[in-house]
Amino acid sequence: MARSLANIFYKGIFAVPAASSTGILRFSTSVPSDPDTHEDFRPTTKVETSEISLKDIVEQDIKENPVMLYMKGVPEAPRCGFSALAVRVLREYNVPIASRNILEDLEIKNAVKSFSHWPTFPQVFINGDFVGGSDIILSMHETGELKEKLKADAEKQQ
Amino acid sequence: MASRVVISRASRIKTKLETALQAAVLEVEDVSHQHAGHAAVRHMEGGAQETHFNVRIVSAKFQDQNLVKRHRMVYDLLSDELQSGLHALSITAKTPKEAGLDS
Repeated sequence: MARSLANIFYKGIFAVPAASSTGILRFSTSVPSDPDTHEDFRPTTKVETSEISLKDIVEQDIKENPVMLYMKGVPEAPRCGFSALAVRVLREYNVPIASRNILEDLEIKNAVKSFSHWPTFPQVFINGDFVGGSDIILSMHETGELKEKLKADAEKQQ
Repeated sequence: MASRVVISRASRIKTKLETALQAAVLEVEDVSHQHAGHAAVRHMEGGAQETHFNVRIVSAKFQDQNLVKRHRMVYDLLSDELQSGLHALSITAKTPKEAGLDS
């Protein structure tokens, strides 16, 4: 049983049914199951928010910000090469970039992962749509798709 | 550098993707050393090992799937690895036609 507990925690974040016996694990911040979490990056303050409101935060982020970037570090000082790459590509387009540093908030990090069904960071959302990580952003940049997407969204907003 | 681990993560990744995607081309490159100073792996025991990979796949199963779906297919196949220390993948996912291998 113990072997599957981490699994239940990982998959069960938004799965309320059948969680009654394991629900106690859902808000654990020790999070041994998270592979890219080091204790240095655990939140220093535990945010006492419900799952629903965490998802609401993500939904609000991507609704209010035409370009929303969840990344490791901040655009001025990325903490990971892939996040740095995403920033560099997006900055080519002279658009406002909103971002959250997921290293500083583990619960938001997990909420974003579940929301997008995407396991790694950075994650880019454009006008509410999940676009992908750094590989996809770079590829779309190279093919011109990113320009079109940002242009179409800018027009939509006018 | 060859890993001394008996079954390396690279070969597990390769097997998992090969089986599920019937890949025409499959290259898995361990680039963990390039991320040795990475924030999340800096303090790992033994440094950065088997955490970052470049994966290049050509598979007919990517036909009619956009990039997000293709990457999700790969991530889903490797979910065990992602939960056990695999930190990041750089993925190139093409169809045989896109890769110029069309038959």
